[in-house]
Amino acid sequence: MFEVFEHTADVGLRMRAPRLEELFVDAARGLTALLVENPEAVEPRMSWECHLQADQRDWLLFDWLNELLYQFDVHHRLLASCSVRLEGTQLHAFCEGETIDPARHRLDHEVKAVTYHDLQLTESPDGWMAEVILDI
Amino acid sequence: MKAYDGPLEKVSDVCYRIPKAYRSDMRVDGLIFASPDLIDQIKDDQAPEQVANVATLPGIQKASLAMPDIHWGYGFPIGGVCATDPAEGGVISPGGVGYDINCGVRLVRSNLYFKDVKPIVRPLIEELFRQVPTGVGRTGKYKFGRKELRSLMRQGVPYLLGRELAEPSDIEHTEAHGLLEDAEPDWVSDRALDRGAEQCGTLGSGNHFLEVQVVEQIWDEEAAAVMGLAKDMICVLIHSGSRGLGYQVCDDALHQLRGVPEKYGIHLPDRQLACAPIHSSEGVRYLGAMRAAANFAWCNRQLLMWQTREVFETIFGRSWKELQMNLVYDVAHNIAKFEEHEVDGVKKKVWVHRKGATRAFPPGHPEIPTRYRRIGQPVIIPGDMGRASWVLVGQPGSMEHSFGTTCHGAGRAMSRTAAIKHSHGRRIDKELEQRGIIACARSWKGLAEEQPEAYKDVDLVVDVVHRAGISKKVARMKPIGVIKG
Repeated sequence: MFEVFEHTADVGLRMRAPRLEELFVDAARGLTALLVENPEAVEPRMSWECHLQADQRDWLLFDWLNELLYQFDVHHRLLASCSVRLEGTQLHAFCEGETIDPARHRLDHEVKAVTYHDLQLTESPDGWMAEVILDI
Repeated sequence: MKAYDGPLEKVSDVCYRIPKAYRSDMRVDGLIFASPDLIDQIKDDQAPEQVANVATLPGIQKASLAMPDIHWGYGFPIGGVCATDPAEGGVISPGGVGYDINCGVRLVRSNLYFKDVKPIVRPLIEELFRQVPTGVGRTGKYKFGRKELRSLMRQGVPYLLGRELAEPSDIEHTEAHGLLEDAEPDWVSDRALDRGAEQCGTLGSGNHFLEVQVVEQIWDEEAAAVMGLAKDMICVLIHSGSRGLGYQVCDDALHQLRGVPEKYGIHLPDRQLACAPIHSSEGVRYLGAMRAAANFAWCNRQLLMWQTREVFETIFGRSWKELQMNLVYDVAHNIAKFEEHEVDGVKKKVWVHRKGATRAFPPGHPEIPTRYRRIGQPVIIPGDMGRASWVLVGQPGSMEHSFGTTCHGAGRAMSRTAAIKHSHGRRIDKELEQRGIIACARSWKGLAEEQPEAYKDVDLVVDVVHRAGISKKVARMKPIGVIKG
């Protein structure tokens, strides 16, 4: 699951999931829900792959959100669903979605960037939790 | 949100101190310009702690400063000012500039008065909304190839002269003449160019806006006359920055800085404060790319103004020159500049980071355009879309107290989520209309998040910088129409 939490000028995303891969999927869903008011209207009309490598796992989460933001900003792609496979600090994702259609997608926030401020990714007996603040 | 519970000592009615002794990692005091009313609001979140965090940066001079519109940011607080000396191991921090490199505002005057525009405010605003690209995912009408984009980033607004999209007087009245020298467009990544290619001349979303305003009250007749401002005059205020290109330049720099502070033995309380010594290869590389993005931002605001002039020409059937739609001034409020300041009686050149803060040079400063040199540098302060915005001029106190800097806006009082809750069941556009303001926005949520109540009272903020002697009130404007993303 993901939820939005308060930050004065920006927006925070908090994810909790039993498995790390699911947390990465939830983060992608959370970001999409900020970009578009009706994420349920995004259809899997095209697919693309994403492969990332980072030195730390929290940076990998950061890079993953950044990559989705880049796809949105440059290729105007919205995500309908994705599957994520993690191997240490490598990520392999299969993404499905479509390009923005103003007739069906109500665009919402312009997310300028993912920030490192209070970036958290922790594991506990209950599973994984992450927090990330997005610059709006 | 957790409130700040550290020390805040009252220095005067307009200034509070976080003493260096608060934390062992602080190198200097923190100083927040605020009135007793505002300081109570400022304590509501972690912004003062962020002032203390900035005080830990190597090479910081005098104090970690914050303006009265301070609020919680990421890394630096919004409203934060920090000067670092390269000769003392000073650092440059992309977080001290922000993702929206050279976000700023420009004010355009006209020879139209409220009585001329009152009957056609709605068609004017609707036409602006149609013609000026706003909102998420909207691209602009100006297309620049890679080579052209690089020229634009190297040459700044003067590049647009050749494209007949700027006038010499536009350049004269833009901070730094719309050009930071030594920009290195080749250090701007392909990803940043991808994000910026279609966005030069677009407003964006969030707190960016274009407002049509009326000069409501003149505080300084002489300065207003020099700027060509008069009571009841119609003006246009444009707030935008470097769009996706600048966001990516900052992001790329922060990525390159992963592990770098540790390499130079710098210990940071927040990773978003990532920095490098100014003369290091990482520092030099960021500065080259940052300057390029800053030049892109000035071109973006220039093109937004150009499109605004075209809309006025269509609506009023006269050329913009006949309408005397001259640029009063353009200021950057997210930037780092290398400037001369006096520290402990010694003049030295320092890197001034302004993160949500505006340069405010006093009368006589050589960097002020000739026309304004005797009144001081014009400072444009956007408030909120329901109340007011201000024109100020820089004062000598800014050089004494704040590295030639003043506030940049009203500052948020409410988080975005709280603003949405607060707007439940309301129509912000209708409420604004009842107050005589026509609002066109792509998203109702965007309007709700930016509602007037989400901001501090800009009059209180401006009052502090006026009383602190860092800038002086010249004119108060009220909005009559706004377009937003």
